[in-house]
Amino acid sequence: MSGSGIANPLGVVAFLALAVLLLLYLRTRRRQAIPVATLFLWRRVHAPLIEHRHFRPTLLFWLQAAILAVLAAAYVRPFLERETGGALGARLLVLLDVSASMQAREPEGVRFDLARARAQSEIATLGSADEVMLVTAGARTRVPLRWSADRALARRRLEETTALDVPTDLTPALELALTEARARAGTRVLVLTDLPPSESGVDGADLTAVEWARIGRTDDNVGIIGVVVDEPPFADAGAATVLVLVRNYARAPRRVVLDARAGGTAWAKRDLALGARASASVTLRDPPAAGALELALEADDALAVDDRAWGWIGARGPLDAVIVTHSGMFAAALDRLAAGVPGGRITRVAAEDWTPEAAAGHRLAVLDGFVPPEPPPTGGTLYLAPPPGNAVCPSAETVDGVSVVDWDPDHPVLRGIGGIESLTLARASALSVPAWGRSVVLGASQRTSFPILVAGETGGRRVACLAPALSDQPLASDHLPLLLVALGALRWLDDAGAPEAVTTGAAVPFAVGAREVPGVRLAGDPPVLVAERAGIHRVPTAAGERIVTANLFDDRESDIGREARDEAGVARRPSRPTPAPARWDATGWLFTLGLAALLVEWGLWMRRSGA
Amino acid sequence: MGAAASARSLLDPARLARYHGLALRVHGGAGDRPGQQRVPGRVDGTGLEVEAYRPYVPGDDPRHLDWNAFGRLDTLLVRGFTAEREVAFHLLLDASASMSVPGEDKLAAARELAMALAFIALAASESVRTTVLLADGRTRESPAHRHRSAAPRVAEELAAAADGGALGLGAALEGWAARHAGPGVALVASDLMTEVADVERGVLALRARRFAVVLVHVVAPSELDPERGLRHGVLRDAESGAEHAIRLTRAALAEYRAVVEAHLAALRALAARTRSLYARLVAGSSVGDFVTGDLARLGLVRRR
Repeated sequence: MSGSGIANPLGVVAFLALAVLLLLYLRTRRRQAIPVATLFLWRRVHAPLIEHRHFRPTLLFWLQAAILAVLAAAYVRPFLERETGGALGARLLVLLDVSASMQAREPEGVRFDLARARAQSEIATLGSADEVMLVTAGARTRVPLRWSADRALARRRLEETTALDVPTDLTPALELALTEARARAGTRVLVLTDLPPSESGVDGADLTAVEWARIGRTDDNVGIIGVVVDEPPFADAGAATVLVLVRNYARAPRRVVLDARAGGTAWAKRDLALGARASASVTLRDPPAAGALELALEADDALAVDDRAWGWIGARGPLDAVIVTHSGMFAAALDRLAAGVPGGRITRVAAEDWTPEAAAGHRLAVLDGFVPPEPPPTGGTLYLAPPPGNAVCPSAETVDGVSVVDWDPDHPVLRGIGGIESLTLARASALSVPAWGRSVVLGASQRTSFPILVAGETGGRRVACLAPALSDQPLASDHLPLLLVALGALRWLDDAGAPEAVTTGAAVPFAVGAREVPGVRLAGDPPVLVAERAGIHRVPTAAGERIVTANLFDDRESDIGREARDEAGVARRPSRPTPAPARWDATGWLFTLGLAALLVEWGLWMRRSGA
Repeated sequence: MGAAASARSLLDPARLARYHGLALRVHGGAGDRPGQQRVPGRVDGTGLEVEAYRPYVPGDDPRHLDWNAFGRLDTLLVRGFTAEREVAFHLLLDASASMSVPGEDKLAAARELAMALAFIALAASESVRTTVLLADGRTRESPAHRHRSAAPRVAEELAAAADGGALGLGAALEGWAARHAGPGVALVASDLMTEVADVERGVLALRARRFAVVLVHVVAPSELDPERGLRHGVLRDAESGAEHAIRLTRAALAEYRAVVEAHLAALRALAARTRSLYARLVAGSSVGDFVTGDLARLGLVRRR
C-alpha cells in the first residue's frame, strides 16, 4: 500500500444529513399538514388517527443515524492505493448481425459463417480473466450471452446462433452495446455485419468507440419483392389473379426463370430478362388448383432466401346463405346479388318457421332482427339489428341519428371498402362488445358511442353483429355503403380458417394454442406471432390449426451489395485503455454496509408499523 | 422557476435530441387536410406509396392507369396510393392545484411530456394546438402550430400553464369537445384524481366528436407509495383545502394500495371500453424513457 485518501472532499457536507435527521425527528412532535392531490382515495381507507408523541431517541433513530453516517462516508469516496504495473482485464462485446442478408454466399463462404469465424478467433485471443458478451441483431435484439469469462460457453453460444430470415434493425443492438461500453470502461465493441456504418442509425461520433467489421461485397441477387393475391369474393379459385414483383439488385443484367405452383400443381414458368437494378412484374391467371401458392426463382444468385415466396389461394364458393327477415324486398335484393355469381343460393325462412335444420346445408346465415335460442349450424352467422336482451349480440336499446366515428381499417371485413366515414344511420341497436369479439366500426350519437359492427369467433364459428337493419332498398345509392359493409362481413364469415399472411420479423396479434412452433416465435400477452423463417407454417390454435404464410419482402435485405456513404469495409479499432494504478475503493463496501443497515432498519420499522 | 426559464428548460436541445426521427401515430386521428401521415386502407389517386393495384373498369379515372404495366402485360391496371393526411394533435394540460402539490411536481412532468410530443408532431409537419384546462371550466387555447419553428411558442404556452384552482375534469373536457370538431387526437395529460365516471363523461364527449383519445395519467411516486413521504399527519386536499388526519399502519397502507389499484384498474378499463389509449407517467421519472418506451409499446410513438 502506498497511501490513502478521499476522492470527493466536498462530500463531507453530506454529514449535515445527520442534523437534518435530528430536525425531522424533532418536527414529528407537531402535527404536520401535508398537501396531497386529492382526498377522495384517502377517505376510503380506514386508518387510525394520529397520536401525539414526545421525542425520545429510539433504536430506529440510532439506526437511521448510523445509515446516514455510513452513506455520507461512502459519498466522500475513501480509497487505498497501491503500486502496480499490471494490465486491466479486457472486455469484448461482439455484436453479430443475424438478418437474412447475412445468408448471402461470398467466394470465401457464407457471410454469417465468416462473421462467426471472426468472432471465434477474437474470443480465442482473450485471456482467462477477460470477459465476453454476445449480442445478436435481427428484427429484434437478443443477448445470447451476458458478460462471462467462460470462453467455452461463449464458443458454444456462437455455434448455436444462426442467421434468420428477418430484416435488420441494428440501432437498438448498437445502443445496447454502447451503453454497456460506457458503463464498463475499457470495453471493446466489435460489430460484425454486412451493413455500412452509415446505415447503423447511430451518430457517427458514437461509432468512433466501435470496431466495425463489414463482411461481404457481392451484389449478385435477384429476389421476389412482392406478391399480391387478388381473389374476388364468392368466386372460386379459378378467378384468382396473382401479381409477382421481381427485382434484380445486381449492377449487371440477369436472366431468371419464375416457377409458380398452386395447390401442389405446376402452374406457370416465365423467363424474365432484368436490366441492372431493374424490376419486373408478372401477372398469373387461371390457377390450376386452390391451396398453397409456391413461387420460386431459378436464379443461382448469392442470396437464396428471397428467391422463394409463398401465398394461399382459397377454395371459396358462391354466396350460399339462409336468410330470416321480415322484409321481402331486402330478401329479393340479396337474391339478385347472389344470382350475379354462378351457383349463388339464398333461401328465405320466416322467423316463426325457423329450426336449426332450416340452415343445414348452407354455409352462411343472415338473421335480420332475429336471434334464435340455438346458434345456426352454419360456418358463419351475420346478425342484423339484433333485438335488446339477446344472448349473442348484447345490445341495450335502439338509438336514432348515428354516425361513424372510428373504424379498424386493417380488419379483413373492411378490406377494399372506403368511405366508411360517410355512413350515417337513421336507427341502430346500441351494441356493446361481447367477450368473444371486438369492435370493427364505432359509431356515436348525440349522447353516447357504441360499436356498429362487432366481429369475432364463438363456439368455433365466426359471428358478426351489425347494429342497423338493412333497408328495404339496399341497392339504392344512399344505402350502398352499408350494404358493402354487410357484404364485407359475409365475405369474412365465409373465409373462416383462411391463412394469415405475414412478413418475417413483424409482430402480429395471434391467438395461439402452443408456444413451440419451428420457424415461428410466439410470445407476449396478448400473444403475438413473429415469423423468423420464410415459408408456410402450421400453427396450433385453440380451435385447431392455422396456416401462416411468411415472406421476406424487404428491399433493404435483398439489396446485399449496398453502397456505403462513408469508409465502407474499413475496420476501426479504438486504442486499448491504458492501465491505471490499482486503487482499492471503499465506496462500494460502505454502500453495501449502508444497504445492509437499511434493510435491518426497514425490518424494524415494518415490525413497529404492524404493531 | 420562472416561465421564461421553464420555457428554456423545455427547449433544452440535449433533451429534445432524443426525439429526432420519431413520429406519432394514433389510429383514427387523420382528418381531411393533406399531410404527411399515411393512412393505410384509405386510397387516393395520388401519393407516394402504392396501396393496391386492381384491374381497370369503365368509370375509373384514366389518369390513374399504370401505363408501364400496360406496356409490359397488355393489361390495364389502376394504381391506388395510400392517402396522406394531416393529424391535428390537441394537447390538453390539466393545470389544476392537484397537479402542483409541493414535492410531487406532476405539472412539470406533464409540461415536459407535452413539449416532447409537440416537438415530435411538429417535426413530422402535423398540427399542434395546446389547451390549458384551468379552474371553473376556463381554458387557455393556442392557435394551431404547423412547423418545427413554432416549438418556442409551444414551450412558452406550456411554461405559462399554471392555475392552482379546482377543476372538474369531465365537465372541462365536455365543454372543450363542444367547441371543437374532430377528427383529431386529443391527448389529455392529467392526474385523473377524480371519480372515474367523471373522466368517462369527458372521454365519451371527445369520442362523440370523433377524437382519438390518449389519456396520460401523471402520478406522483408518493401517490402510488405514500410510505415514501408520509408516516402520519394531517392530509390537506390541494384543491378544496379539506383536511383528513391519518396514521399509516401496515394495514392502512395495504388498504390504500388496494384502493389505488382499483382506481388505476378502473381507468384502464375505461380506456379499453372507449377505445382510448392509456399510459401512466410517474412524475420524476425520465420522460424520454416514457416516450420512447411506454408510448412506443402502446404504438403511439414510432420511428419515421
